[in-house]
Amino acid sequence: MAEPTTAGPAPQPEPLARSPIPTLTPTAIVAGWEVTDRSSDASTRLADLSPLAKVHVRASEDGALAAALDVRFLKAARDDYGVLITGSGPGEWTLIGPAGTAGDIAGRLSALDVDERITIVDLTHGRALVRLTGDAGSTLLATVCAVDLDEHTMPDGTCLRTSVARVVTDLVRDDRDGVRSYLLHCERSSGAYLAEQLRQVGEAHGLGVEGFAAAGR
Amino acid sequence: MTAATTPGAATRLDPQPGEVIDRTDRFAFTWNGVEHHAYRGDTITSALAAAGVRVFSRSFKYSRPRGILTASYLDPGCTVQVDDEPNVRGSHRRIAPGQAVTAQNVWPSLDRDVKMANQAVGRFLTAGFYYKTFIKPQRLWPTYQRVLQRFAAGGTAPDTAPDRLRYDKRYAHPDVLVAGGGPAGMKAAVAAAKHGAKVLLVEEEHELGGHLRYGDTGDLDRLALLRAEVAASDVEVLTDAVVAGRYDGNLFAVVERSAPGLTERLTKVRAGVAIVAAGLIERPYVVEGNDLPGVLLSTAVRRLINLHAVKPGNRAVVLTANPQGDAAIADLQRAGVQVWAEDARAGGDIVRILGRGGVVGVEVGDGRKVPCDLVVTATGWTATTSLLNMAGDRPVYEPRIARFLPSQLPDDVLVTGGLAGDDDLDELLDHARAAGELAAERATEPGSVRGAALPVRPIVDACLPALPLHDHPAMFRGPTHGFVDFSEDVGSKDLAAAVAEGYDSSELAKRYTTATMGPSQGKLETVNAVAAVAEATGITIGQAGTTTWRPPYAPITLGALAGRNFEPVRVSPMQPWHEVHGAAPLVAGAWIRPDHYGDPAAEVRAVRDEVGIIDVTPIGKLDLQGPDVPNLLELLYVNKWQKLDVGRVRYGVMCAEDGVVLDDGVTGRLGPDHYLMSTTSSGAAGIWEWIENWLQTERPGWDVHVTPVTTAYASMNLAGPRSRDVLAPLTDVDLSADAFGYMHVRTGTIAAVEDCVLWRIGFTGELSYELHVPAGYGLHVWETLLAAGADHGIRAFGVEAQRTLRLEKGHLIVGQDTDGLTKAGSAGLGGLVKLDKPNFVGKPELVWQQEVGVTSTLVALQPVDPTEVPPEASQIVVAGRTVGRITSSRRSPTLGRGVCLGQVPPDLAAPGTHVTVRLPDGRDIVAVVQQHLAHVDPEGARLRG
Amino acid sequence: MITLSCPWCGPRNVTEFAYGGESGARPDPATATPQPWRRYLYTNANPAGPVTETWLHRAGCRRYLVVERDTTTNEILAIRRPGGAPSTSARHATTGRATEQRP
Repeated sequence: MAEPTTAGPAPQPEPLARSPIPTLTPTAIVAGWEVTDRSSDASTRLADLSPLAKVHVRASEDGALAAALDVRFLKAARDDYGVLITGSGPGEWTLIGPAGTAGDIAGRLSALDVDERITIVDLTHGRALVRLTGDAGSTLLATVCAVDLDEHTMPDGTCLRTSVARVVTDLVRDDRDGVRSYLLHCERSSGAYLAEQLRQVGEAHGLGVEGFAAAGR
Repeated sequence: MTAATTPGAATRLDPQPGEVIDRTDRFAFTWNGVEHHAYRGDTITSALAAAGVRVFSRSFKYSRPRGILTASYLDPGCTVQVDDEPNVRGSHRRIAPGQAVTAQNVWPSLDRDVKMANQAVGRFLTAGFYYKTFIKPQRLWPTYQRVLQRFAAGGTAPDTAPDRLRYDKRYAHPDVLVAGGGPAGMKAAVAAAKHGAKVLLVEEEHELGGHLRYGDTGDLDRLALLRAEVAASDVEVLTDAVVAGRYDGNLFAVVERSAPGLTERLTKVRAGVAIVAAGLIERPYVVEGNDLPGVLLSTAVRRLINLHAVKPGNRAVVLTANPQGDAAIADLQRAGVQVWAEDARAGGDIVRILGRGGVVGVEVGDGRKVPCDLVVTATGWTATTSLLNMAGDRPVYEPRIARFLPSQLPDDVLVTGGLAGDDDLDELLDHARAAGELAAERATEPGSVRGAALPVRPIVDACLPALPLHDHPAMFRGPTHGFVDFSEDVGSKDLAAAVAEGYDSSELAKRYTTATMGPSQGKLETVNAVAAVAEATGITIGQAGTTTWRPPYAPITLGALAGRNFEPVRVSPMQPWHEVHGAAPLVAGAWIRPDHYGDPAAEVRAVRDEVGIIDVTPIGKLDLQGPDVPNLLELLYVNKWQKLDVGRVRYGVMCAEDGVVLDDGVTGRLGPDHYLMSTTSSGAAGIWEWIENWLQTERPGWDVHVTPVTTAYASMNLAGPRSRDVLAPLTDVDLSADAFGYMHVRTGTIAAVEDCVLWRIGFTGELSYELHVPAGYGLHVWETLLAAGADHGIRAFGVEAQRTLRLEKGHLIVGQDTDGLTKAGSAGLGGLVKLDKPNFVGKPELVWQQEVGVTSTLVALQPVDPTEVPPEASQIVVAGRTVGRITSSRRSPTLGRGVCLGQVPPDLAAPGTHVTVRLPDGRDIVAVVQQHLAHVDPEGARLRG
Repeated sequence: MITLSCPWCGPRNVTEFAYGGESGARPDPATATPQPWRRYLYTNANPAGPVTETWLHRAGCRRYLVVERDTTTNEILAIRRPGGAPSTSARHATTGRATEQRP
């Protein structure tokens, strides 16, 4: 048996983070993540946004943190930093922000002076995240999701969790410049499957794939 | 000239005001190989009828020639093959250029059919012939099967699914679903939409309009107005689509037969309120010869003349009992057909229809024989109550109108149109408007829960005005016997015979004769069948009742039912590497894992001698935070947890309330209130729910937050005597045995990736580090470790090698070495269970188990013959009686012999006991109970090194 | 397919929920004797009519729910958050490993 080694680590190359969803060429590096780098002029588009920071926070449903975040369950809104706060469960929020900012988001949450115990977990690596933008988005989702996504049941700034193509998925309505857009995130290991299902269903709707940067976060 | 085609018997008429054919678009197609021409808008049978074709199929049992009866989807004798597509409804499907249409169920041909002989032997094919013939001798069953298969009225399916077929499914959520796009359905839909409801209107025909489409110019004017109203509304319209079923919670299956780009689509409609405006189906008249080509319903001739401009014959006898029949007479006369009218309201009737290959005349009520080539009947209506029955209705027979009326419905199903009663169009539309408004109100009412099960109430409470009823003579059977079920070749005589044999209820007679069980599924024949049973038993139709209507109302292809099939799969971040490196995939639940990379025994040796690395990402990982985590661990694990220091890891076992082993794994303490729990891979989802259940329902006061982080980390186990050497240069964690001992946990950097969790544990029995790295970096860390380990002989190993390694080490797998009856005491875990703890899940049963003693226990076994490896589930026997079993077995590459775990009774559990193992091939071998569960390194020296 | 109106998420297809069995009182494990304990573990009233059950909104908010349902009509009489009332779904493993065992 070898002698116990106590030497510190040797210098290492910068690590590369990969999305669970296979990238398409050309690629680029954003905040240490390999991402697809392309645009699409299709009217309905799918983008892999898995590198976005995703911070999960738990507290009581109607306590001090809930008041401070001011986003109720099933609602979604952006804060002053542009972070999308989603009321992803009762007493549970998922905050989605620019790639590489999970630490900042968690830091700001910790710094909130709330009079209750909260739990912050960085789930950036634990969730696959895609954005589906365009007019056919809700039509396309109606083939994989049994929940009514009509304007009056799921307007911009709302979220819910349901089964999408038999995977438990968080669905956030987050329109871009007045164009209907959905964020979908599920646990990471199902991400490639979910994205592939959306792509297949989207074939009939001329779904295009756009890159990380083109999807505008 | 052949019997099947009589050119000149019917011809295309001059343009008709309501025709749906486009005379500027004429094209060719073939029928049984002969070229014909059609206009765009023709159905298969309308185009062929215009060409003089009268026979489209041969009947099921007697092989009688059959032609157009209804000129609609229901037409029982007009099912044809189109190219490679079997069972196409020829009176519904619109013909397309170049299609090859052929007749089905004809052997050897439509004109000459050997089964015609069945008519001569018809006495063998009477009621219940399925149950009486083809019974003995049994050795001829395969022959019977071959013969009967030839009878089956199906077309020829292609061997492989053609690529052009596209099926899909989708969900829809209208406030109001309207089933039926006739005048009432259109009006109800528009009214509901005007009232603010989101409306889906579904019509089975190719256009909206129902009977108005083939009506007179007054009807066509009304239709134009209604269509304009629909077009101006927000109503979503599906034509050539049918509401095939209604299910609990107002869920409807809608089959779309011409969705763009698709062969067929199934739409699952969750409706707030459904309005059933399915209308009435014209009922055939049961009389001798009523199935001959040339016997048509009045609605059929009106469709042929007014929609397709086809003259259906030259000399017609019309039996009319209602205004629809009178209108058919007018249409026929306008088309230049000579008409002999028998008015049933004035005592007219027909006794029998004469002819063999087609109609040649009719014996009318007064005994005269009238020569003709066309017989038209308008003798009454069948209410299409299927969807209402599926919603809980029990329709009641109303003798005044000789049809059924709905009686009870839940509040989320309304009925209008001809199903609800009779009246002039204006009054009918008023009723439909009221139904539409009421539906919209109920569906959009605040607090109404879509999809809730609602109680069924009498229909008079439905807040809709009752429609008046117009008297109609009750006409089911004439003075002679005729066919009731055209699909199954069942006659009124067969039903009478069934009753005579004791099958004297409509449900029994139906099953015995198979009446209503063919492709038309009772829509044409049910009421006539009930009438025949009632007549034979001397009761009224009301007393005989009707048969139960079940989904689907209309046929759905298997392709549409299959639609899109979703089978989620899960993969780890290292899956791309596994695929490139020849991993044999193992499907474990939804996970795809590497079983091995070609040589599992070599993988085992690498771990024992040098170092190996395995992807264990599917291991369940739960982040537990809060002051009550120790209480939670105490409650759920059978062992003690209060004194776990920060930086320490402990193995734990969970039991259910029945004391049965539920899961196992290690939990480490990362900080004062912060723990990371691991579960088995298969238990990951279930244990999370198990914990949440306790926290939410039994211990709501406890302050614990559980976050599943299974896939937030890529997990890999670096195992083997050289694992420390591989890892040390890559991490800032001090790996020395003193600084990071066995059953400890550290957090740190690996391969420049921060926030990694390192456990020093050992399922394999070797010095090993379980590394949990942020999942996006999983592939990076994996590849870096493999590169760094190259000089140390590192080898990736799969699930198979891991299973062998752990078996050598005697570690149990929950669900493999235990089953649904294995309590902790029987799993070799007795020492772990701390019955002195005040309370934990499963404790009562484990206390009682200890009191009465275990009946079975887990031991390690080795066959005396080292070459033997008894397959898992081999039985352990005493005097021929099974007393235990082998739960795990492998050939151990380390020991060069077979090693096992097994469940044995306590009297066979002492080390050194010889037990008899019965192999699946019947041989008995001897195995010896070992002192320790571990076959390799029972002292754990390698583990703690 | 019926819907259950989740008090958190609203009406959802019943396929989003996991059935947890009839609710019943959990005997005090400290003083339990085998017979009542095993009645708690293994027997259900299985009435034709109203019954109180535990459900988990598995694909949604992941909250455990108390549902009063009429087994003859599927009518949901009440649906609410668990309020201290014990749920018998805690008796057995949700993984399905713990199966039938006769008392």
